[in-house]
Amino acid sequence: MKSYIAEFDTKEKPKDYYNKLLENLKEKNRELNAFNNFNDSLHGGFPFSVKDNICVKGVESTASSKILKTYKPPFNATVVERLQKNNFGFLGKTNMDEFGFGSFGINCEAPAHNPFNSDYVAGGSSSGAAIATAILKYHVAVAESTGGSISSPAAFCGVVGFTPTYGVVSRNGLIDYANSLDKIGFMARSAIDVRKVLNMSTGRDTKDTTSLDVRLTDEPKIQFSVINQLMNGLDGKIRSAFDKFLEKLKGMDYKVNYVDLKEIEAAIPAYYVISAAEASTNLARYTGFKYGFKVNDFSKKYNDFFTEARKQFGAEAKRRIILGTFVRSASVKNRYYIRALKVRAMLNEKMRRILRESFIVSPTMPITTPKIADIEKLSPVQNYALDILTIPPNLCGLPHISFPYDYIGGMPIGAQVIGEHFNDYAVISFVENWERKFKYKFRYNIGAL
Amino acid sequence: MKIGLEVHVALPTKTKLFCSDSTAETKEPNSQICPICVGFPGSRPVLNKEAVRVAKSIAIALNCSVKDKISFIRKVYFYPDLPKSFQITQLSESIGSEGSIELEKKKIRIRRIQIEEDPAQIIREGGYTLLDFNRSGTPLVEIVTEPDITTEEELRETVFTLRTILHYQGVDVNQEIKTDLNISLAEDRVEIKNVTGIKNLIAAAQYEIARQGAIIEKGGVPEKETRSFDAASGTTKASRKKESEEEYGFIYEPDLTVYDTKNLAENAMRIPTKIARDLAVKHNANYKTILELIAFDTGALNLISTFEDEFSFNTIIASLEIMKRFGEPSNSNVFKEILNLTDQKIDITREVLKKIKSGDKVEIKKFSESQIDETIRKMLNSDATIVEKYKKNKNVVNFIIGTISKKYGIQPREAAVRVESVINKL
Repeated sequence: MKSYIAEFDTKEKPKDYYNKLLENLKEKNRELNAFNNFNDSLHGGFPFSVKDNICVKGVESTASSKILKTYKPPFNATVVERLQKNNFGFLGKTNMDEFGFGSFGINCEAPAHNPFNSDYVAGGSSSGAAIATAILKYHVAVAESTGGSISSPAAFCGVVGFTPTYGVVSRNGLIDYANSLDKIGFMARSAIDVRKVLNMSTGRDTKDTTSLDVRLTDEPKIQFSVINQLMNGLDGKIRSAFDKFLEKLKGMDYKVNYVDLKEIEAAIPAYYVISAAEASTNLARYTGFKYGFKVNDFSKKYNDFFTEARKQFGAEAKRRIILGTFVRSASVKNRYYIRALKVRAMLNEKMRRILRESFIVSPTMPITTPKIADIEKLSPVQNYALDILTIPPNLCGLPHISFPYDYIGGMPIGAQVIGEHFNDYAVISFVENWERKFKYKFRYNIGAL
Repeated sequence: MKIGLEVHVALPTKTKLFCSDSTAETKEPNSQICPICVGFPGSRPVLNKEAVRVAKSIAIALNCSVKDKISFIRKVYFYPDLPKSFQITQLSESIGSEGSIELEKKKIRIRRIQIEEDPAQIIREGGYTLLDFNRSGTPLVEIVTEPDITTEEELRETVFTLRTILHYQGVDVNQEIKTDLNISLAEDRVEIKNVTGIKNLIAAAQYEIARQGAIIEKGGVPEKETRSFDAASGTTKASRKKESEEEYGFIYEPDLTVYDTKNLAENAMRIPTKIARDLAVKHNANYKTILELIAFDTGALNLISTFEDEFSFNTIIASLEIMKRFGEPSNSNVFKEILNLTDQKIDITREVLKKIKSGDKVEIKKFSESQIDETIRKMLNSDATIVEKYKKNKNVVNFIIGTISKKYGIQPREAAVRVESVINKL
């Protein structure tokens, strides 16, 4: 357990520290595609990166989409504002799957590469945030998760990724994917640094109606629940590594119990229905004349005009627009959209019942880090199925944290701990304990800048 | 015949529905805009509580049941004036439902009242479609009636009644009210979209009644379709055949939470139709006369309340009509003087009004003196012998004195003095 933020504060930074940092980072970025742009005027504060779907005033913010090229928001996201007030310095915008649509960081113009081995995926959609956290010593990442976009890349890149309770961090300034599911969260090299940035970022924001003014708690749990249905689809190597992890937990005087939650299988379809329904309305605004990509042929009829603009969307974005438009259309809405909302409410209730007495723990991803080439071969449905472990807490807006606990074939793997609503600090505290006990250290074999 | 209306009215709030931009009139296009009302990525709506409060008041004034918890939805369609390509509006959890507009002899049921945002303004100029987002995000209520209107007369009365009720809720009823008009003489519904202003609404209805009537007369059946009204020619044109219902892909607006309306204090419930009816009964007066005086003039109603105990109701109504005739604003402080004069049955001319307003003491007799004298002179002239007879017997002019006294509301003694003075001057 080590706070890089605290360490940095006590250090005198030479004048050209930031210039050097940027120079080295740009060099590294050519290989990994972690950043979409850099803040060349950075000259002070603890460096923080911002996922490209979070607005920074005057800085191109595209959500890694061609349709938003040149969009420079005239305002800061609230989270950016709050960190800047706490003497954090904006470093640059990090790469991601277009609009957050993906779990592996490859649904974008410049696919992200895993810093441990560039043939492998970095995870997604907050791919760049995780890579940046892995390769930078003094840095925290502002990321965002809708269905697992923080946990997945954090696990694949060997860093701590924390997703707060829905509504705890203001979404003002977030380029929406699915508003009822989107959460801004953080990645860092240690849990204590996540705690620090969370503490600076929470609190009611009048610019986001869904933001809450709730005191977050830190109530520890001794019990860890493993949901049987989630263990079924695990890769063998992941399973055995996770079993060893559970043994270590028992060694730390935690209790592990196994529970059934049959309905959890409905989480993936419910998630994809709700998120696609909302996403398809959010993406409707991209029509090519007010910001971002512009269609300059004004002789076109409006339908042709915006259709021309919307060709800029990537394949996955188009797929979700079509899917989302379908599930909310009048004739099938009750079968899909409305039903998915009911599934969410039902799962929320069931998860909460388990979480009253325990944390829920699982591997973060059911597979070892895949190669980029292998993911490209998967069908969309196979692809979506790999989100089974990260979707449940995201669908229910529960705080969860992914942290590295082992390596398989030189690649880090992560475990995910889920807590009750608003008991956000408790899951962070647990990882702090874990780090203390196992003196967990990042493997700097990838080199820290 | 069945007519139903969807009336859109801008609410009297200082700022827009989901952002803090001003709603004030401005000539400079796109000068009152921000990332929210232009739909920039990253921005999100924040509900204007005052808009909800006024909408709640309107719902109550229109006899609706008001929901304690309201929510918003996204209505998705592509049109250049719609910045997010969806409109934030309401459906099942709208502010009001199941109300009515009470006409003199009938109730027009209201299905729903919903709060929604206005799109931008489209300006077509020189072959271009220009967009002014100043209007984008203006808070509206849409009032949806059941198709209970069955005659043109009822349509007029519905619109009049609705407007006067809205006026008493602080709505600017001189704004260009946009209405969708559903009108069917036969089975299938014809919808005329986006009719601007009341005059056009009536004209569109008249045209459509005639058009559908002619089809039926020829043995045909008016088709289910959407039409638009062309104000220049006064006709409606088919714009889209309605083979299927429109598809808006409604979903809940996830950026707004369920909003509790319980603690919003509604406006004072002054319903002009009810007030006019009560006054008519109380004073045995004409309902329509009263309603017309107070319908778009809350000041007139205030004057009635102020002087109701001091003057006779007929005097008050007559005085208000005088004010109206001369275009005097009803908050004017001349009203008391007019009441006094009217009470004495004094005719109030423009000249008199001028004197009252300039603060001159109005010598009541003087103002009508020359007029009275002129009348007397005319009456005297009609009988060449009367002056001679008068010299012998003063009673011969009694009928003139009587007439003058009655006509000008002056004492017979004063009338006699006037007659005598006229004769003496002859």
